[in-house]
Amino acid sequence: MIARVALLILLPITAGIALVQRRRLYAIIGMGVFSLLLAAVFFLAHAPDVAITEAAIGAALVTFVYVLAIRKTGRLTVAASEVPALLERTGEQVGGLEWEILQRTATAMGLDLVVRFLPHEEVITAVLRGEADIAAGGIVSLEDEDRLLQTPEHLPTVRFRVTGGAAAPWAEAWPTTLQPPRGYLSDLIDAVREGRAIAASLDLARFLALSRYDLNAYHVEKDEEPLSYTFAVSPSRPDIHRNLVSVLTQLRSSGELERMIGRHLP
Amino acid sequence: MAWLNGVNVSIVLFGIGLLGLVLRRDLVIKLLALGLVNASTILCLVSLGARIEGAPPILGGPMEAALIDPLPQAIVLSAIVINFAILALALVFVMLLVERYHTTDSQRIDRETCKEQEQEQAQGVKHANEDRPLPKPKQEQRETPWS
Amino acid sequence: MKRRPSRLAIAAVVLVPAFCTIALLAFGYRGPEAGAARSAVDWVDAAVRLGTRNVVSAIYLNVRLFDTLLEVLVFSVAVLGVHFYLTARGEAEKVESIPESGVVRVAADVLMPLILLVGAYVTVYGHLSPGGGFSGGVIAATGLLLTALAIGTRAVTDRVGHRFLDRLEWVALLGILVVAVLPALLGRSPLVELLPPGTPGRLGSSGSTLLYNALIGIKVFAGSWIIVRHFVDHRGEI
Repeated sequence: MIARVALLILLPITAGIALVQRRRLYAIIGMGVFSLLLAAVFFLAHAPDVAITEAAIGAALVTFVYVLAIRKTGRLTVAASEVPALLERTGEQVGGLEWEILQRTATAMGLDLVVRFLPHEEVITAVLRGEADIAAGGIVSLEDEDRLLQTPEHLPTVRFRVTGGAAAPWAEAWPTTLQPPRGYLSDLIDAVREGRAIAASLDLARFLALSRYDLNAYHVEKDEEPLSYTFAVSPSRPDIHRNLVSVLTQLRSSGELERMIGRHLP
Repeated sequence: MAWLNGVNVSIVLFGIGLLGLVLRRDLVIKLLALGLVNASTILCLVSLGARIEGAPPILGGPMEAALIDPLPQAIVLSAIVINFAILALALVFVMLLVERYHTTDSQRIDRETCKEQEQEQAQGVKHANEDRPLPKPKQEQRETPWS
Repeated sequence: MKRRPSRLAIAAVVLVPAFCTIALLAFGYRGPEAGAARSAVDWVDAAVRLGTRNVVSAIYLNVRLFDTLLEVLVFSVAVLGVHFYLTARGEAEKVESIPESGVVRVAADVLMPLILLVGAYVTVYGHLSPGGGFSGGVIAATGLLLTALAIGTRAVTDRVGHRFLDRLEWVALLGILVVAVLPALLGRSPLVELLPPGTPGRLGSSGSTLLYNALIGIKVFAGSWIIVRHFVDHRGEI
């Protein structure tokens, strides 16, 4: 008696909770729970045939088929190198200016945003190979512009050259970034400090992140060449490119872009 | 608490399902709400035949005199399986739609289809068989054995 | 960006709860009225005559067999629709097979025969205890589904045969129609059981209910597997 009443009260509650979920997966799981509760109600209402059938179908097959159906409709893969304030990991979450832009694009397209953090040199190759749809994370200049679709810039930047204090500052054309170590940015600075690398060429966001460190021992020069951050989209997905461009123009025209920049890069 | 029975709960569930169907914009959740409406219907039917002190309609058990009405159960039994198959077909259509328009937002799909329709009307694109007259029957009235 | 709710949304939020409240108050069920209670007496006679113990299966496999036949046909049409719409576009997606971890494989190895056995049991004993073709077929399909989760649908169709289950579904449907129609050809009245009812309570009793249960079970099993296979092939493995 108690079980019957409790289950009957739980049914609309479970259904209501399941149908107001934001994420589709949670709604599907909620409806699976609802089916099981319904099967229990059928059992207590002396209908064992119906209970068996409802449990087998509602819990197993319907949930499975739904999960299969929504599976591919949500996947926007971003290959990125971790850049503070643009695309960084904060604990379990991912945040940053570029992440917000990408997230808006993903929601506009109805996809799930998945960010894979790769070392800097593998980002472009990952997109070219087809493992990811978008390259992000402070992409500034691309040698192979014809192979990838680029989006209009969302943040102007300049390059800073940080040279080791012990070595003589280089005067000619900037040194290439020698084998940037993976992962954390301070490795780069340590490399310069230890003399393994003569100089490091950094862009704005990385440089701002560097300001946490004491840079008085280094010689910093600012390059005058104006550059900008862009995203690079794989050429097989022009729809992503279209959506990203439209999101960016919309953000820029409504002034939202400046606000976001102000939030992340003070 | 006689009012807390399956039929009333099924009315409430029906309402929740309808609200979900109308208010949520995501196509997959609309289908889930439709499944909820299905579930509410079968709950109503099964509950109409149920008695608290009854027994499941299987002969040979201890309470043979108080078997509950087995007709609603027979009706809904195959209905549950058919609902699953129809739901799978509906999901196929949703999947095809999503592949075409890259969104599960029903309002956006609506807008895109309206735009496409307007474009097609402007360009005068005709679909197959739109203007063809209905085919005439192959033969005239045949002599049937009973006419 | 908060959009103004559409007129349909406002109307729904107002009308649907109003409709539900009115329905509850006016037609709300307060429990079965005494004296007007329908019991199972009418159907019990049919079951006893037929020799089954499950009154529900006596109804939908004997007294109201037409409904069941047509519903089975609807199921076939739905499966056909899924098959058509998902294969008419060609092999668009590359099916990646994700190898599952050891626990899933071992569990699938152990559980799959059990689940298939439970499904077969529920199907075959459908006329004696709750269950029947529909439930048993779905349970068996769940077992095959579990294996597909572990080793991928490609491996399953390699072992079972690529078109075997597709054809099995149609063969089962044909069998159901034949079993339903054959008594008429043999001179008895149509839709009467093909086999004679034996002693009630044993497996061989209840006439052709057993045949119907088995054929419907096979049909639902194959149909569900076809649906699931098409979904998986079209979208990529789980």
